[in-house]
Amino acid sequence: MIEVDNLSKTFKVYHHRKGFFGSFANLFSRKHRIVQAVDSISFTVERGEIVGYLGPNGAGKSTTIKMLTGILVPTSGSVTVNGYIPHRQRKENAKHIGVVFGQRSHLWFDLPVRESFELLQRIYRIPEVQYRYNVEMFDELLSIGDFFQTPVRQLSLGQRMRADIAAALLHDPDVLFLDEPTIGLDVVAKARIRQFIQKINAERQVTVVLTTHDLDDVEKLCKRVILIDNARLRFDGELATLRRLLSTERILSVDYAEAYPDVSIPSAHIVYQEGARVQYRFSPEEVSTADLIGAILQKFKIVDISVQEPDIEELIKTVYEDNLTLERKLTEPISPNTQAN
Amino acid sequence: MKSLSLAFQVYLAFIKKSFQRRMQYRVANLVGLTTNFFFLLVHIFVYTAFYAARTVPQPLSLNEIITYFVLCQVSFMLMPLWGTRSEVTSAIKDGSVALQLTKPVDFQAYWFADECGRACYYLLMRGFPTFLISILFFEVTIPQQPTVLVAFTVSMMLAIFMSNAITITIFSSGFWTLDTTGIPGMSYSIITLFSGMLVPIALWPEWLAHIARWLPFEGLIDIPFSIYLGKITGIEVWIAIGKQMGWNLFFIGLGRFLLTRGFSRLVIQGG
Repeated sequence: MIEVDNLSKTFKVYHHRKGFFGSFANLFSRKHRIVQAVDSISFTVERGEIVGYLGPNGAGKSTTIKMLTGILVPTSGSVTVNGYIPHRQRKENAKHIGVVFGQRSHLWFDLPVRESFELLQRIYRIPEVQYRYNVEMFDELLSIGDFFQTPVRQLSLGQRMRADIAAALLHDPDVLFLDEPTIGLDVVAKARIRQFIQKINAERQVTVVLTTHDLDDVEKLCKRVILIDNARLRFDGELATLRRLLSTERILSVDYAEAYPDVSIPSAHIVYQEGARVQYRFSPEEVSTADLIGAILQKFKIVDISVQEPDIEELIKTVYEDNLTLERKLTEPISPNTQAN
Repeated sequence: MKSLSLAFQVYLAFIKKSFQRRMQYRVANLVGLTTNFFFLLVHIFVYTAFYAARTVPQPLSLNEIITYFVLCQVSFMLMPLWGTRSEVTSAIKDGSVALQLTKPVDFQAYWFADECGRACYYLLMRGFPTFLISILFFEVTIPQQPTVLVAFTVSMMLAIFMSNAITITIFSSGFWTLDTTGIPGMSYSIITLFSGMLVPIALWPEWLAHIARWLPFEGLIDIPFSIYLGKITGIEVWIAIGKQMGWNLFFIGLGRFLLTRGFSRLVIQGG
């Protein structure tokens, strides 16, 4: 369904001169630096899969999505979606994909939702029967009927997102690209959108590529995840495998009574240090939380201490700070201890 | 043929929705109407004083001048160069152009359709009211021959089209500069001057008028208004309209070229 082979994208970032003459001079300016946004990424996605495409901010997620949707032209490598080359056959490709950018609305800001939908019906040439059927179905699942006549600018964020997702599916696309579809939403709204995506995927065999920073999204929706960091592919596989790798890492935050010059503890890495506050990363496989706290208490006076599972951003960062760590872990046999996790 | 008519329907729908969208801001429109009149009065007072002081006969009579500026106020809002700009214009600047590109529509055609809807709205809500009220207060010339009115309408439509084509061309520079104030700002000054919007070209010194005749921008204001005032007649009308058409094709082609080139090197602002 989606084939990405050795895909790279570099941007030239130009040095900007300010002001009236400056902007004119910018036309001829050749001062720039090269930024590698996506670096030789390859993967394939089969029909009906839901894939979480994850990575920290600036990792290259959106750039990849934009190449898959035909907005950006790759610097090298190849992409096909549905057999189309998105940037060469932009309009053809666009007929078979649906796109939602959580941060921006596709709907016409000052038109009622209904009018936006009618415009989309024309744009995608959706037959009346199919259009009515879809609108009814989306109303049932997302209650878009509640605000169908309301101008988009007056919608709440949750309503707008529901409308946006429905709009992206009106023409029965084969692939749905969701770029942070739950950003800024409350728990109820998130759950509703997740359910909807699941249902659409199950009933219509829509392939879904999802980028998100929300670990819950990933857990509820994706069997498979692709992790990228710093423009490179770091992991492609089952979420379960990833979770096994990641859940071994914990973060221990300690507020010391004073700022000690050397706070290093065996079998724990310092990931953050500012004044008397220090964060350690450790693996419960190597050292138990109790032993670690014991070791700290022996050496230093503490004010407060807490253990937390790192969030997805941190996990990705910590695990892939050192690519070797991941590779080593992937080849390690799964110990019964971690399986129970 | 069927697909052509379907495509036409899409863009017709864009025009309609564009019109409907503006209708939501009718109150703001009343305020704008007042502004139109303010500027009209400023122009009229300046030229009245100017004409009272001159003894030498001018190429345009005072009534013609007043008519010229009434037409200015009626029509400049229809042109994206001067009127409030649609969000399509800022699409390149803020990156929302990306969203347009995920839809199976031609961006330039979408842009034109959107602007057509906008022009229709401003013609109805600003242009006609301004004209009707002006007739009450000033001696506005109205052409007696229907052929003049027909020629004027055609020329005016070409002017609006060309202002769109020029706007697209100018804003396409944003793909290279990622800045939509410098080049557009400079272009507006040049275009405003050479369109004849501030001073009708007939009143210009010979050498400057000569330059203006070789530039495309007189087709935005001076040509349609001169046709209306009967300053361009007979075969000259055909030549003037031909000129407008030629420049239209030129800018549509140039805009299309720049857009295509621009998209291929698109950097979406804000990631």
